[in-house]
Amino acid sequence: MSTRMNIMIVDDEAVVRESLVFWFQKGGHRVKAAASGSQALERLRRRPFDIMFVDIKMSGMNGIALLEKVKTDYPDTSVVIITAYGSIESAVKAMKIGAADYLLKPFKPDQLTLVMEKIVQQKKRFQEYDYLKDRLEKISRFDNIIGRSDEMLSVFDMIVDVAGSDATVLLTGETGTGKELVAKAIHAKSARSRFPFIAVNCGAVPETLMESELFGHQKGAFSGAIHTRKGFLEVVSGGTLFLDEIGEISAKMQVDLLRVLEDGQMTRIGSSQPVEVDFRLISATRQHLEQRIANGMFRRDFFYRINVITIDIPPLRRRKTDIPLLVEHFLKKFSHETTKQVDRISREALNQLTAYHWPGNVRELKNAIERAVVLSKSRTLDVEDFAFLQTPIAKDAADRSLTAVERRHLQRILKESNWNVTRAAAVLGINRVTLHKKIKRYNLKREHHR
Amino acid sequence: MLPVGRVNGPAPAIIAAHIAAFFELDAVVLPPFALPEKTLDPKRRQHDAGRLIHFFENSLPARCRKLIAVLDVDMFVPIFTHVFGEARLGGRVAVVSLFRLSAGAGDPRDAQGIIFERAAKIALHELGHLFNLEHCDHPGCMMQFAGGLTDLDRLELNLCRYCRMFLREALFFPI
Repeated sequence: MSTRMNIMIVDDEAVVRESLVFWFQKGGHRVKAAASGSQALERLRRRPFDIMFVDIKMSGMNGIALLEKVKTDYPDTSVVIITAYGSIESAVKAMKIGAADYLLKPFKPDQLTLVMEKIVQQKKRFQEYDYLKDRLEKISRFDNIIGRSDEMLSVFDMIVDVAGSDATVLLTGETGTGKELVAKAIHAKSARSRFPFIAVNCGAVPETLMESELFGHQKGAFSGAIHTRKGFLEVVSGGTLFLDEIGEISAKMQVDLLRVLEDGQMTRIGSSQPVEVDFRLISATRQHLEQRIANGMFRRDFFYRINVITIDIPPLRRRKTDIPLLVEHFLKKFSHETTKQVDRISREALNQLTAYHWPGNVRELKNAIERAVVLSKSRTLDVEDFAFLQTPIAKDAADRSLTAVERRHLQRILKESNWNVTRAAAVLGINRVTLHKKIKRYNLKREHHR
Repeated sequence: MLPVGRVNGPAPAIIAAHIAAFFELDAVVLPPFALPEKTLDPKRRQHDAGRLIHFFENSLPARCRKLIAVLDVDMFVPIFTHVFGEARLGGRVAVVSLFRLSAGAGDPRDAQGIIFERAAKIALHELGHLFNLEHCDHPGCMMQFAGGLTDLDRLELNLCRYCRMFLREALFFPI
């Protein structure tokens, strides 16, 4: 089997790099070279590589140290150690750390081919495993609703419970919490799953059109009605009708719908002939309907009719443990959809996303990840990529204290200097000893990427 | 075709004939050329194929589109123990060594034929690289990588349909 691989050659000898680059180019692979471990890591930070061929003996970071770093930070990258100074000890050490293979220079041409074949087959198996695992996750997830928090597990339980009956369901929750996804999940698990699922946003359809959209009309029923048209209540026949923003419908529409729900019949506009209807109603609202009832803007009898069962979908800030899962899901989705190879997020950025209060909930998180992926300059999303997120108006006073500001500044400069204390101290205009003391005082640590 | 050093006999002419037959290109045999001693690695006692290519690139006659230097010395590239031939993708010069081709050729009376066939396959393979053909997975295709003589003998003197198409493009629509 032939697969085009992204390969990196890491060797401080130019002739070796050149040889391997020419060899792999002839095999149709995309090849880059690095003369040192640090250069290799810099390349890896910018884009992923499938395989690296790494010399053990290099000045600065040697091959074994590079192997350790790669296996920690970029576990999907296979590493083959190549060396002219082989020993059983180094071979065993390399394999234990996770090297894919170990070759002694110079090697026979077909040895390299065999190693490549082995790694390609291995990667193919991992890809198949990932694909099957993903499929299994999709099966165990409720139609793309992601969550393992207690709050979402309760929602999943309720979905299963209500799906088996025809009882009307009212979904409550803030905007962007996934009410339509939950409605689809209920439909998908119900006996009506083979029939249509129709979603109508009552807030988006003008009141004047709403009646016609739902009930349909006869030809000539009003100016512009040049054809007889079935409304959603007929078209959905057998299936599920999802009315989002149910709090927005007019009082007249509430009365008409109440009659339909009680009689199981409706009449098209301009017709006197009743038509049997058969559907399950799921509604959703982000408003407090009880408040609207108290204000006389929502009918109590209609409310009871559409609300046999209520499922409250928690806002994202009440299920923060789901944020890493959602981030991972959206990162995978958008890095697949765009041509950018952005497939990782730093721990700092993930902490930032977890701390954020997400007024727009999952929809806002999804948009934030998409925006960050599109605009990112490296393969790893970092704090700077989410600078556009609005900070909460009421901030903890400690965040703006001099201590917090100094801590953040030190962390940033150390990161930019790749934790070279001498260089960082020079940038900060302080001496190394002072910087070491501050590192200790603030308990600053080099962040690890996810 | 450029015979280099001690290469004499029909090998360059046989390779040229194969090139004319399979690539439909005019192939001529140039006068013999001296082996450049500076490409010899005294520790390995082999000639560096990369340095040979570099040397002959500077000697390429203007009227030649590509050059295949045929040698009778052992060759290597830094990462491999030896190579039978070497060329850069899209380059102008390839080098082919006859040094190891007599191994396992059987009865000396029949060996010549096998050696020439092996040489022709290697030359055509490297010439393919000069026309930007990459290694191919199609069983038997001349562009399939052959690590040893057994693999080489298994190759057909033929290109698969895809490599033939890529070659035609490279010949008639050069970049």
